This record gives sequence, structure tokens and C-alpha cells, in this order.
Amino acid sequence: MENNLVALVCDDSILIRKKFHTILTQCGCKTIFEAENGVQAVEQAIAQKPDVIFLDIVMPDKDGIEALKEIKVTLPEVKIIMASSAGTSNLLKEALKNGAYDFLQKPITLEKVVSLLEKILKEAK
Amino acid sequence: MFSQYFGHYLLNRSLLTHEELTKALDIEKSVHVKLGVIAVDKGLLTSAQVEEVHEKQKQVDKRFGEIAVELGYLTVAQVEELISHQKQSHLYLAQALVDLNLMNMEQFSAALHDYKKAYSLSDDQFENIRNGDVETLIDHILIHQDAEIKDKYSAYLSLFAKNMVRFIDNQIYLEVVDEKAIEQGQWVVYQKIAGDAPLFTAFNLPEDVLLHVASVYAEEDITQVDELAKDAVSEFLNLHNGIYLVNMSNWGTELTMSPQQIAPAAHISGDFLPVQVETTKGTFQLLLTTDVQSVTI
Repeated sequence: MENNLVALVCDDSILIRKKFHTILTQCGCKTIFEAENGVQAVEQAIAQKPDVIFLDIVMPDKDGIEALKEIKVTLPEVKIIMASSAGTSNLLKEALKNGAYDFLQKPITLEKVVSLLEKILKEAK
Repeated sequence: MFSQYFGHYLLNRSLLTHEELTKALDIEKSVHVKLGVIAVDKGLLTSAQVEEVHEKQKQVDKRFGEIAVELGYLTVAQVEELISHQKQSHLYLAQALVDLNLMNMEQFSAALHDYKKAYSLSDDQFENIRNGDVETLIDHILIHQDAEIKDKYSAYLSLFAKNMVRFIDNQIYLEVVDEKAIEQGQWVVYQKIAGDAPLFTAFNLPEDVLLHVASVYAEEDITQVDELAKDAVSEFLNLHNGIYLVNMSNWGTELTMSPQQIAPAAHISGDFLPVQVETTKGTFQLLLTTDVQSVTI
């Protein structure tokens, strides 16, 4: 699955960032940036202007929903996928209302990430 | 999971030693459950009849089922039914105990019968537990707790048991222990859940068990309590609590959770329901309380 997507992974867990890195590399992504909290996510998003962001929700400093709102103001076109184990209906509604592209229910797997990236690439054609 | 529970019952009744139980649980996965064991378990044959069929088998090149039909002990339909039961998990333990000469089938059946009686289990409940129904098993673990405790914690504990089996260890044993039995672990991983049904959740772990849980969850061999090890265990608690929030949301209760945290050699106190979690590599404690204010770390 060759692609030129620039990805940003934002999660306070080293393990999850590591898993995302492995999976995104397997998916053919060549440029992957990382952030470990909401504050860093906003900074990295503005600095690197990625095509796709995987954003955790429950994080210290600034949570994913707040980061989503701020990133969308500056980068309205970026595809932000909320990646969380806590995909409750309230959070889903709030994320979608604030411009999230999709939701990835943890645990993350290669299949789930592939299907999301394929959707993004198909829409970009 | 039934094997672990029934195994502990045999241990508590001094019908097995700890060493014998460990050995039986170790080989349980590799045993091939024989039709004779299932036939006695189902009450279709006596141990003596099984012995007779085994003796015949030494003389003629025929299968157990064929000989039992020829002797008039079983019908073809019964043999087919027994074959379909060959993958029942509780029978793996029975076969392991028989193979190790620690018990015969008659003793195993009698102990199963006593177990059912000791816990006042109905036939349906017993059958559900034997077939791996986690909800019934958790109700059974909470048997000595009052209705309020059951109400507060059973959904959380059922999901916890399933997630432990799904992500960490399929041979776990959970037991509610006395409040005074809270040990000072080397690490405390904790996370608060807020909303209409607040809950404080924590793992109280010795270092070796933390490394076991971390290694399995991270899918790599972790030998030191480094950032990755601490993160992996915390992330497992976070994942489990996240799924709990989704379940509660589906049942109409919206909850939120704070980021998970880990503290070394912390002394933790609170109005907890302490649950002992035995894994194949050691024991840790799951500490739960709906009285979040009572917790100090």
C-alpha cells in the first residue's frame, strides 16, 4: 500500500506510539511525526502540516477533543482520526461535531488502520 | 477459566496439593480428552464400564465408541454426542488429573458434584460456568458479597475477567479477598472514572507480575521496569477502562476517565473491594471503590 501521506500520531502511551509507527510503516507511510500530549499535538500539527492525524482522547495537559478543535481552526482540511479505547456515544458525537474524520476504537490493529487510510486515499483521488 | 476455579476448590478441600494442581493445569492444554472421561462426566458410563472398554481396546483394533456400542453400553447417537463434547474446557482438567494418576473419573465427578452443592449452583448456572460463561462465574465469585456490592462491581469484574483472558493470560483466577489483605505492591497503576457511577480503579503489583503483564501486552520480552514496561501496564488498564466506559455508555450511563497514572512502591488505602488476580506468572491485586474520595496514595 504505497502512499505519500504524512502522518502525525498523538498518544501519551509510548507503546501505542510505537505500535502506530510499526503499522503506519507497514502501510507505506514514509513520514511519521509523534506527539505525546494535546499541547504537542497542536504544535506538531501546525509545524508539520500532516495529511492525517491519529489523536488519542484521554491525555494529560490537553485532551484530544481540545486539541482537535484547535488544530481544525488552523488546518481545516487535515483528516483527524480519534483513536481511543473510550469510544462512548457522547465522545463520538463531540468528536464528529468538531470535525473529526473518523474514530478508531482501540486496540489498534493493522486491519483497522489500513481500512482508514484506504478510505482517505480513495477520497483524495 | 472454570479449570482454575475448580482447581482451587480441589486445593482448598485438600484433594490436591498446590504442586499437583500446577502440574495438571500445565499439561491441561496438551491433553486429548478421551471419550471415556466424557462418558463418566455425562453419567452415561460408570468408571468400571470405561475400564472394561479400555481392556477390550488392548485386544482389538477398534475405537472406544465402537466397542462401547458393541457391548451395548452406548448407542451410536450417544457416541456422536460425546465426540461433540470433546472440547469442553473443564474436561481438559479432568483428563490431565486422570493422566497424572492424581484422581480417577469417579473422584472427579464426585468433587464436581460437591462443588455445585457447596456454592448452591443450579443445574443451569453450573452448566453455564462449565461452558465458560464469565458473567455467571463473576456472580459466583461475589457469592459472599451483599447485593449492593454485586450491583456495583459485577459488570466491571466480568469485563475485567474477559479482558485479562483476551489480552494477558487465559488461565487467571479471581478471588475477592479481605480488606485487610491489601498488600503493599511495588507499583500502583491507577485511573479514576468520573460521572454518574464514579469508580477508582487500580492494579497493585509486584515487579515480576508487572513485567509479565507488560511483556504480554506489549508483545515483547520486557525484563526491566523501564518506561515501556510501566506504560504497557498502564495502557492495559486504560484500554480495559475505555471498553468499560463504552459498555456503560451503551447501557445509558455516560462516564469519563482521567489519564492513567503509575506510582512506585506506593502505599494505597481506601474503602476498596480488593480482588486477588492470579496469573500463570504470579499474583497482583485489582482494587476497586465507588467511594473515590476515600482513596489516598
